[in-house]
Amino acid sequence: MKKLLLVFTTTLLFFSLLTSCEGGPAGPKQVELKVFIDQPRFRKQYTAYLDRFAEKYKKEKGVEVTYNLEMPDTNAGQLLRTRFASEEGIDIYSCHAMNDLPEYTKAGYAEDLSSQPFVNKLYDNIKPVVTVDGKIRAVPLESLFWGIVYNKKIFNQLNIKPALTVSELKENIAKIKAAGYIPFLLAYKDQWIPQLLLPLTVGGFLNSEYPDFIDNMNKGRGSFADLKEFFTIMDLVNANGNKRPLDIDANLGNVEFASGKYAMYVQGPWMAQGFLEQDENFEFGVAPLPLNDNPETAQINIAVSTCLCVNPKSENKEVALALINYILDENDSSAFYESLKFNPLAKVHKFETYPWVNTAMTYVEQGKGYIDPKIPQPVKDESGAVFQSYYLKDMSQADIINALDKAWKSSLK
Amino acid sequence: MRQRTQTLLDNINKHKTLILIYIFLCAVCFFSLFPLFITVLNSFKPQAQIMKSVIAFPRTLAFDNYKEALEEMDFFRVFFNTAFITCLSVMGIVICASMAGYKLSRNKSKLSFFLYLVFVSSMLIPFHSIMISLVNMAKLLKIHNSVWGLPFVYVGIGVNFPIFLYHGFVKSIPVELEDAAKIDGCNEHQTFFKIIFPLLKPINITVAILQIIWIWNDFLLPLLMLTNSKHYTLILSTVMFRGKYYVEWSKILAAVVITCIPVIIIYMLFQRHIVKGITTGAVKG
Amino acid sequence: MIRNMKKHTIPLLVFVSPALIAFILIMLIPMCITFFYSLTDWNGLNPEYNIVGFQNFIEAVADDYGFRNSIFFTFKYAVVMVVLQNTIALLLALLVNRIKKGKTLLRTALFMPNMISFVIGAFIWSFIFLQVLPTIAKSVYALRFLDQSWLGDSTLAFWSIVIVSLWTGIGYTMIIYLAALQNIPKEIIEQSKIDGANTFKRFIHITLPMIVPAITVCLFITMNGAFKQFDLVYALTNGGPGKSTRVLALDIYLEAFSSNYRYGYANAKAIILFFVVLFLTLVQLKVLKKREIQL
Repeated sequence: MKKLLLVFTTTLLFFSLLTSCEGGPAGPKQVELKVFIDQPRFRKQYTAYLDRFAEKYKKEKGVEVTYNLEMPDTNAGQLLRTRFASEEGIDIYSCHAMNDLPEYTKAGYAEDLSSQPFVNKLYDNIKPVVTVDGKIRAVPLESLFWGIVYNKKIFNQLNIKPALTVSELKENIAKIKAAGYIPFLLAYKDQWIPQLLLPLTVGGFLNSEYPDFIDNMNKGRGSFADLKEFFTIMDLVNANGNKRPLDIDANLGNVEFASGKYAMYVQGPWMAQGFLEQDENFEFGVAPLPLNDNPETAQINIAVSTCLCVNPKSENKEVALALINYILDENDSSAFYESLKFNPLAKVHKFETYPWVNTAMTYVEQGKGYIDPKIPQPVKDESGAVFQSYYLKDMSQADIINALDKAWKSSLK
Repeated sequence: MRQRTQTLLDNINKHKTLILIYIFLCAVCFFSLFPLFITVLNSFKPQAQIMKSVIAFPRTLAFDNYKEALEEMDFFRVFFNTAFITCLSVMGIVICASMAGYKLSRNKSKLSFFLYLVFVSSMLIPFHSIMISLVNMAKLLKIHNSVWGLPFVYVGIGVNFPIFLYHGFVKSIPVELEDAAKIDGCNEHQTFFKIIFPLLKPINITVAILQIIWIWNDFLLPLLMLTNSKHYTLILSTVMFRGKYYVEWSKILAAVVITCIPVIIIYMLFQRHIVKGITTGAVKG
Repeated sequence: MIRNMKKHTIPLLVFVSPALIAFILIMLIPMCITFFYSLTDWNGLNPEYNIVGFQNFIEAVADDYGFRNSIFFTFKYAVVMVVLQNTIALLLALLVNRIKKGKTLLRTALFMPNMISFVIGAFIWSFIFLQVLPTIAKSVYALRFLDQSWLGDSTLAFWSIVIVSLWTGIGYTMIIYLAALQNIPKEIIEQSKIDGANTFKRFIHITLPMIVPAITVCLFITMNGAFKQFDLVYALTNGGPGKSTRVLALDIYLEAFSSNYRYGYANAKAIILFFVVLFLTLVQLKVLKKREIQL
């Protein structure tokens, strides 16, 4: 027995030594880029594009580029921060242009990219979103027009239109129910999905009835209680959804929504790929979410969510910058963005916009669109958790207001 | 025939309690093993079949799940990472703790007692209290993100309890042995490694087993320390894999089975030692 | 004096130093750093920070609803675990000890889940909670109560965590109890049988006092384990739904490494966890020592 143990351990040790030494000393012609992208659902597309860059770079510069590509699924923000903390030398990372970019810039983790060639290719209305302190800090990937998504087939069949007021919404809900469909898909297992109600509610009110809300909050004299009808829409959505939303996560949500049983889903079109994977003929549109009977509150949220930054501490900055520019490459970028179902945001993008983007655009063109409100990330995180509890009736409206106010206040510290 | 039935009934009556006990214990065993059984069963089904029925037997054995899980998890690499980290950590802990425990037990000075007290009282520090600063410390020491650095961290965290165990065990070894060795011309180190260390064998096994189970299955420390997927441990790799295929149970279950197999093999081989190790560890603790 | 030092202290240091160096670098210094940052408002990213004294502690205790909840939840979990795990394990050990055939087999089966890591156990059980139980409920009418939102309801999620904890933990405690039971000299049991004591009386007056040390150890182990639980909750519910199942360790982890940007505050929570565990251990040791002497 003892011998067996000994043989076992030595073999293990031997093999482990082998595997850990396998890399060998890297020549100067070889560069490993550490890339961190928070979109695991697009792993295939990103890997393919990065490989194409490596091929091109080898041909042009004779340098072999390999990747250490990290695409975490949960707690990506936390992971990225530990990666920063460990000074592991992340070269390129993705982050949320509105929520994270200012913070990362302030802490010195976002390189100034203003002089990079890709900047001139960007549409002018996109530039401000990736600009912090007057300098371009990132290459935008995903720009969004979002609100709720609705099942076009059901809407056409019942001959209804997306509602712009709560009363209209109630009428629609009645018709949808009468036809045997479920009005709203609730997929609340992942906290970021119930969280979506926060930017939609705040954004809608901010751009109609409560223009000073964020300003007041940031000055420490506001409260969510100021938004009188904050819970109206949430109650309506929760009351007209499926059972057990807390068992449905984002992926299962795609499967469910594409199954055609649900008329609406408070979710962004970033899930398009997920719906179409389930059913390639699935037809859906994007519409605003009404907040009360004032049609002004129903507007489309315009946001750049994901963008790519270069870490100034990168040891392979030259390659990293080349890769960043390749993201908006003259020839290849268009197909890349199209494969990800992202919206065009630069002059090099020459593909057709998607039908769901067009439905959203019709609202934006009527002036029914606003730039994603700047809500501090801790408040958003908090909202995801407390909205779950609200659905379960574990927390009252007053509890929610307190929790959100407190999260906002402590984010000011 | 009737008579035979009668004797059977008598027997049953006689052993009623025993039979009840067996039935109850079988039920508990079912609770214990059913999850593993259902996992293995479903890991051979394609996803569509799982969605249809989880209880039915698979119609054909689909090994695709396993193939994909093995490849995507980079199984062989992460397996050897885990084995390497575990081996190195356990060897480090056994050597460091036995040396320290031995000397602390033999030396009766105030300093020795103080050091012993520091080690033992540190058993009260929960890992979660230091984890945040530990990440920074590891960065400072340049031992983060490496399969070489992690064992050092395990030694630092895991050395206190074994020292306590060795400290108690060494008391049962007569001092005369060392005196004899000294007369034979052994220096301190020779005495320890040639005379004492072999005598510590039972406690060495206990310590090794407790640490292997802990380190092999540990999740949070690798999560905090290992950032490069090349260095992932088995558990960490499974967690990442699970995140990727959240709804595709077929693949997740295959990955789970793969992760369990080494542990179960080790358990079957060394069951006696493991049980003994746990009971001694617990009684001494 | 100097000779004495040469003779005793230097070998002591030589033997202790490998363990001591690792221990100081990995445990002691981080503990000190934690103490230090718990007094600051550092956000974990910025180069500068202020020293704010005990403000973080005051906020955590007085003003943090979520943190208070997670302390309460952890206590609840610990108490339930200590009671259930020990009663069930002791009962099983008594039963297994009574039978003659199949002892090893039973022990193997009951201990097996303990070898599997919490994280993997959580994956297996989330499959059971989300897929297996609803299917069984649909096909067997008598078992339709199994169709529940096991992980999506705050009360049920607590019990789900307890079930999985018991699944992995019972084998471990049972083995310790079994060893203790087997150490009871046969003669004592036989004697009591002759004296005519029934099973229950025998258990109270003879078996129980003999296994008090094992009970002490098991209570200690289960309580400590419960207060340091992280892996299982992380993998099973990640603290949800809402914040209803956030154990202390998970709360600290999320505070420190999530986007909350309050690193100093997280460290203050970590220090509070340390004191809670310290306090409980001391109380436990005191109470159990006393009882041991009494019995």
